[in-house]
Amino acid sequence: MSLTDLLRTAFRSVAANKLRAALTMLGVVIGVASVIAMLALGNGARAAVDATFKALGANQIQIGQRFAMEDGEFQATGKTLTFTDGLDIASAIPLVERVEMSVAKTLKARFGQNSLEINAIGTTADAFEGIVSGGEVQPVGWESGASLSADDFIGHGRFFSMDEVYASAPVCVLGYQTALDLFSGDDPIGETIWIDRTRCTVIGVLVELESTDIQNRYQSDPNESLIMPISTMILFLYEEEPSVYMTAYITDASGIDEAKEQITAYLREKHQIEQDVEGNYQDDFDMLTRKDILGQQQEAARTFSLLLAAMATVSLVVGGIGIMNVMLVSVTERTREIGVRLAVGAKQKDIVSQFLLESILISASGGLVGIVSGILAIPLAAALNQGVALLYPGSIPLAFGVAVLIGVVFGLYPALRASQLDPIEALRYE
Amino acid sequence: MSDVVIRTEKITRAYSMGSDIVTALREADLTVHAGEFIALMGASGSGKSTLLNLLGLLDRATSGEYWLEGTVVSSLRRDELADLRGKRIGFIFQNFNLLPRLSAWENVALPLAYRQGEFGQQDQFNRAREALSRVQLDHRLDHNPTELSGGERQRVAIARALVTQPAVILADEPTGNLDSNTGAELMNLLKELNEEGRTIVMVTHDMNVARHANHIYQMRDGVLKESESSNVAH
Repeated sequence: MSLTDLLRTAFRSVAANKLRAALTMLGVVIGVASVIAMLALGNGARAAVDATFKALGANQIQIGQRFAMEDGEFQATGKTLTFTDGLDIASAIPLVERVEMSVAKTLKARFGQNSLEINAIGTTADAFEGIVSGGEVQPVGWESGASLSADDFIGHGRFFSMDEVYASAPVCVLGYQTALDLFSGDDPIGETIWIDRTRCTVIGVLVELESTDIQNRYQSDPNESLIMPISTMILFLYEEEPSVYMTAYITDASGIDEAKEQITAYLREKHQIEQDVEGNYQDDFDMLTRKDILGQQQEAARTFSLLLAAMATVSLVVGGIGIMNVMLVSVTERTREIGVRLAVGAKQKDIVSQFLLESILISASGGLVGIVSGILAIPLAAALNQGVALLYPGSIPLAFGVAVLIGVVFGLYPALRASQLDPIEALRYE
Repeated sequence: MSDVVIRTEKITRAYSMGSDIVTALREADLTVHAGEFIALMGASGSGKSTLLNLLGLLDRATSGEYWLEGTVVSSLRRDELADLRGKRIGFIFQNFNLLPRLSAWENVALPLAYRQGEFGQQDQFNRAREALSRVQLDHRLDHNPTELSGGERQRVAIARALVTQPAVILADEPTGNLDSNTGAELMNLLKELNEEGRTIVMVTHDMNVARHANHIYQMRDGVLKESESSNVAH
């Protein structure tokens, strides 16, 4: 029988039992939707990791003071991670090339009659290079991923030097919007502004920047900022020694684990952290490398993906058994029809094809519905996983292929059974 | 003498029922020439349906030999039998056996549809329409079997048996499910087809039906005998 004839026969037969076919499809629908959602989560996690990779180089260790839940609030634990700690790590540990440090605080800036709240950032001089190469922000009008130098970020003037950091020089660089708001369009270079009760000379203005990470775009505007030497900010604008956020640059990325151990040992000694009775250390700092972030992201995605994979497998097997069951019923119901077809010259392969095509039609329709449901369920999967999910384009043909395969695998036995019926008994069947 | 369509020699069919062996057909010798109309008569369980199934290649003989148009069928494989059955044999059943989801013409074209690549869609339709017009049903082409009367259904089944131009038409109690008037009309149709040269082998237990045939055979306990009332003069 020609494929057209077979397809028409299969369509008519499925159409004659629409509700039955729809219910039978359900397992395949859920299974296929799970496959789509599962692969979207994996894909999303991969995209998130890629973004992290851009922000955190392979030779970088981020160090910060440990925060823990105490009395229902997140609070810093142990000793403060100070600016001096950072300088000491850089000089005492040979594997560490340099340590970038930063602090941030919302402060009031004033020039003449103009006064506004700004996001003040205290950094080391080389931290600016980190901002440039980190890729989290970039000048407006550049293509994403463009190769940029520090000069591309400076609109007028210059950035401060490491010498000015060591000298706690009262200088500052203004964000694009900050400069506009404070000086109403006049040139701010060389002018003195007030930050709280400290005077500071403007030496540079940044170009207009935008966040490259769409998720962060509206969280804080990089243009409403002011950058000054971290030492100046700690000296004049904090009442107590603040905790500093550090990024240690390792000379060779392969030595990162060793460097991490050395920094840990150094800070434990400096902060007088002793082993407790169980031999554990209650560290008051946390370190993060690319490998750690990768591990966390992947673990979260993997756990949820495993759950979905289990759900997909169970649904597909249950769906397949459902199809097999319905096909066996269909073969029994149509025993006489099979007898008639055999009597007028149908060969075994004709009967096998007829019933196999019918089960494939059911499973493939389930597959199509499942693909649509799966795509619609992606945001839900992302929300449950507290992560990112991105449709993986290859998952559509894959899921469809799996659905067709289910139809073949579970339709084969009923189809073979139909083809092996004895024509006389089939014709006599009531 | 005209061509021999069917020849059987000591054809036997035995079934094992548990430890017993039941012989439904015992060493039957039958020869059917082209253009003949044969009636097989007998009580139910006499073995006449068993013989018809063997002649129709739906079953295999336990022993003995059967030649269909000179071909020894015992050595053929299942699919070869299906092929030969589809091409050379037309069936008419007591309960019509039309497929409910197919229209009249699609039912008639079904044997052609299973002959891969031989007949295009249009060709199938034309031949089905031709066969239906022979049984005066060309105005019912697109009707489903459920929309047809019993007599019409059996005429569709006859058209299905005719459409392949088979060597022989095998009819199993063709009037069994019809009232006497419709049955009589149907027998006239079969008689006409025979007069046009169709070879027919019919199973019946009704003497009024059987008398249309030109040879009548009697079956009793699996044994086949030509009846004395055979209308040899025809």
